[in-house]
Formats: sequence, structure tokens, C-alpha cells
Amino acid sequence: MQETVAPRTVDAGPGTTARPGGERGNLLATRLRTGDWPAAWLLLAPVLVLFGIAVVFPLIDTIRLSFFDIKGLAKPKFVGLGNYVKLFTDPAFRNTLLTTLIFTVSTTVLSVGLGWILAMVSAFAPRQTLPFRVMIFAAFGISEAVAGYMWIGILRPDDGGLLNAAIGLFQPGFAQPWLGDPRTALWVLIVAASWGGVGLPLMLCFASVQAIPRTLFEAAYIDGASHGQVMRSIMMPLSLPGVRVAIFINLLGALRAFDIIYILTGGGPVRSTETVGYFMYRESMTQFKLGYGAAATVVLLVAVLVVSIPAIIQRTAGAR
Amino acid sequence: MIGRPPRWPSIVMAVFGFIWIIPIVGIVMTSIRPLAETSRGWWRTDSFTLTLSAWQRVWEAYPLAPAFVTTAILAALATVGTMLLTPAAAYAFHFLKFPFRRLLLIIIINAFVLPQQVVIIPLFQLWRELGLIDNFLAVLIPYVGLSFAWSIFLVKNFLEDFPSEVVEASRIDGAGPLQTFWHIVLPNSLSSVFATGILQFLWTWNALLLPMLYLRSNVPLPVILARVNGTYELNWDLQSVAAIVTTVVPLAVFLIFQRQFAAGAETRTGAKD
Repeated sequence: MQETVAPRTVDAGPGTTARPGGERGNLLATRLRTGDWPAAWLLLAPVLVLFGIAVVFPLIDTIRLSFFDIKGLAKPKFVGLGNYVKLFTDPAFRNTLLTTLIFTVSTTVLSVGLGWILAMVSAFAPRQTLPFRVMIFAAFGISEAVAGYMWIGILRPDDGGLLNAAIGLFQPGFAQPWLGDPRTALWVLIVAASWGGVGLPLMLCFASVQAIPRTLFEAAYIDGASHGQVMRSIMMPLSLPGVRVAIFINLLGALRAFDIIYILTGGGPVRSTETVGYFMYRESMTQFKLGYGAAATVVLLVAVLVVSIPAIIQRTAGAR
Repeated sequence: MIGRPPRWPSIVMAVFGFIWIIPIVGIVMTSIRPLAETSRGWWRTDSFTLTLSAWQRVWEAYPLAPAFVTTAILAALATVGTMLLTPAAAYAFHFLKFPFRRLLLIIIINAFVLPQQVVIIPLFQLWRELGLIDNFLAVLIPYVGLSFAWSIFLVKNFLEDFPSEVVEASRIDGAGPLQTFWHIVLPNSLSSVFATGILQFLWTWNALLLPMLYLRSNVPLPVILARVNGTYELNWDLQSVAAIVTTVVPLAVFLIFQRQFAAGAETRTGAKD
């Protein structure tokens, strides 16, 4: 051990003479480099084991299973890309892809758009609007499953549903089965899912607007800018980082959506609200087509990766 | 902004705020009024009777009390697990040098994009082979394992602002890497560890998919809630009570700690710059 350390310190010699104190740093670095391994692996061991079981193994195994035809407990049969061919020729799955696209984009646009605007509206009177912001945040703290039950009272098919009753004021006897009609089910599901999603962008964008130096606003108002102009030229551009984060989190959340669909529609009626995240559950866990479900999961995984590539690059660059 | 704040933002926000709590008010009203009264709409006031009958009946009809205990145990264990293991790993990644450090870090922190649907089928088969279906470990292992992707990122992000002189000084004074972690770094990074714990607690308490698939007898509240449906009889009142019982703890935690939550959500995705 000592034999290996000694030459290195000699090597570091010439460089350190120029900068006093540098030698100590180099010595330390040398010692850190050799002495850290056991401690690092000791601290990391439980994390690596759990991460391996819960993430790495399932990820590899899902991809492997997607090439097999698995029926119950019978021996899995290798079918190559068969599951994928079947997926993309299955009209139900193509419809699922379209539903996923509509659901993901709409919930993101609705919740981030509204959250962004409300964040700026409240920034004009931060203290007075605090209780109302909390009321909107609160929806974000409610689990998707519970939110689903909350919306049933509003979307009920008879005039006991709040939405039907409200429309009934203008159009007596109005009764629309919002969740039972394939034409409306997806759209009310999107509204219900966005309800919980507004809190996060509101929170993030409000924080970014609060972080803008006050002098910037003062200068703008002295120059005679209106509230609208301040919003457009100062608040909106300077809160873009918050918007970007919110869009990203919302897209990922919507792609993997499951709970609220399970509670509100169960993918129906006639599979009109089935996203890829729900499709894989139905095929693999209720129909027991594990290989087919795994292939759908891989498609979902690819969609998620495409969405998250910019964030992955950003994170990877930051991993020093 | 400047001078007295205008009135219109408050009005706009009040309108949205009250619209936003309509679903919450609805479920509370449904839970405290007789079904006969609310079945034509929970907002109708032609007659208003306050009753806690649904609150009493639901405990007999569904195992809410044991489910509450199960949920609390699962959420507590998963939260403690994450809070114990994450700072150690974040410290190792940030302050220690070892082979494959960068590669491992990149793999772990980028796993946050994985949808949890990816783990369902392989883990289902694995647990079935190991006889772990219906064992708490079947959900605790993925809860904790999946959390590392964002929890290590969050705590490591915090450590980036940690003065490295302090760590170097302790090393020069002869402290080993483990002593430095235990006596210097851990006590000073507790705020980020707690932020991680809050996020993990909310996530585990509300989880529906994994326990629905991997647990059979002792299931947590969201799974019970999903079972309380009135296909053959109307039981919106019981559903409402079950929904309130399911969400009251996470909602309280969320409202109390929303500042840390916001800060956590922000750093979590690298918006720090």
C-alpha cells in the first residue's frame, strides 16, 4: 500500500511547488481515491440491491417477456416480434394510442396552461390570493383514486349529477350519461384528471414569478406599463423554467395514468378511455396475456423515453 | 408589486378557488346526509338532515380500520427505508470516489422516467415464485427501490451546496468516510432527507396499482376504496366516507408541508439553474 502511495506523491511534486497548499490537496485526493472504495460500496450496497430488484431486473425482464407468448402456467413460447406485430395490427390498440395522445396532450395543456395563468394572476396580489391558491393546491394533494370518487358526484348520469343539474337550469330535463357515453367519457376524464394537475404548475410558476427582482416590476410600472404588458413581457418569459418543469412532470404523469381511469371508467365504455398505461394492465393482469402486456409496456416505455430525452440529457450533464 | 395590490386578482382567484373545492364539498356533503336526500343531488337544500349513519355503517361493511393500520404501516416503513438509505447513497455519490460511480449515478437518477407499469409483470412472476404474494415485502421493495431515482437526485442536489471544506477538514483530522458521513454530512442534510420522506409518504399512502396486484388479505385504503362500489345497491354515502378516510392523512401532510413539497418538486427535475 505504502509503496504505491509514495510514487504518486512524488509525481504530484512539480505541480504543487507552484501553488502552496496544493500538495495537501493532492495528497488528500490520492488518499481519498484508494481509501473510499470499501466505504462507498458499503453505503451503496442496500440501494444497489433494492434498485436492482425493483428497477433493473423488471426493465430487462419486461423487454425479454415481450418476445414471448405466455398463456397461464404453460411453457412460454418465443414469438420474436409477434406480439408487436399483433399490437400494431390490433385496431383496439391503435385506438388506445390515439386515446393516449389525446389524454396526455389535453391534460397537460389544460392543467399547465391554467396553472400558469392563475400563478400570474395571483402574483399581482400574493397575500390576498393565498387562501384561494391553497384551495387549488389542495386538489393536488388528493390521490387520483379519491379524486375519481369525488367526480362521480358531479358526473352522475341523472339529474343528481351536478353537471347535468347545472345544464338543466337552462335546458330542463337534461340528462347526459357523461361517463357512459363513448363520445364524452374521454373528455370528462380529461377534465377530472386536470383538476388535480393544476396545483403543481401553479405552485412552480408562482415561485418563479416571486423570484423575479422587484426592481424589474417597478421600472416597468414607472415606464407606464399596464398589468397586461407586465404579465406578457416580464412574468411570462421569466416563469418559463417553471412551465417547462410542470409540462414535463404532467406529460410523464399522464402517460402512466392508471388510478383515475380505473376508478372513473375502467377503460370503458367500449374501451374509449383506455390509454396504453391502462391497456397493459388489462391485457396482462385481467386477461393474463403477460407477453402481450409486456409488449404494450415496452411501447409505453418508448413513448416515455421520447418525452423525457431532453430532461435525461440535462440530468446526465449534471451528474458529476 | 407596487403600491396597493389591485382587487381583480383576488376576485378571479376566488372564483377558481371555489370551483376547485366543489368536488371536495360534494363528497363531504354526501357523507353527512342520508342517501335519500343526496341521491337527487348533494347540493339540494329543500331538506337538510345531518346524519353520521354512513360514517358508522361503513366500518361494519368494509374493513376500513384494519386497512387504515395497514396503510400507515406500509407508508411508515417505506418512508423510513427511503430516509435511511437515500442519504448514505447520495453522500457516497457526491463525496466518495469509486469505480463506475458516474455510470451508476446516471442509471439511477434517470430511472425516474420509468412508468411503474414496467415493473408489474416481472415482479408479479418473481413474487409468485418466491411465495411473496400477499407479503408486505412485495410492495415495500418496489416502493423503496423505485424511490431512489428521485430521492438520491434530490439529496445529492442539496449536497452540491454543502461546503466541501468542512468535509475535507474532517478527513484531514483523521475521520474515515463513514465517520464523516455520520457526524458531519448527515446531521447537516436532514432538511433534504425530510423533504424526501414527505414525498415518499404521500406516494406510498396513495398507491393503488401495486398493492392491488401484490396484496390479497391485508390491503391498504386505496384498494378498499376501489372495492366500495355500488353495482347492485347505491352506496354513494359509504363511498364518500371511505374516500374521506383514505385521503385525510395525506391531504393534511400535503397542506402542512406544501412548501417543502414545492421546493422538492422544483429541485427534483433539475430546475435549480
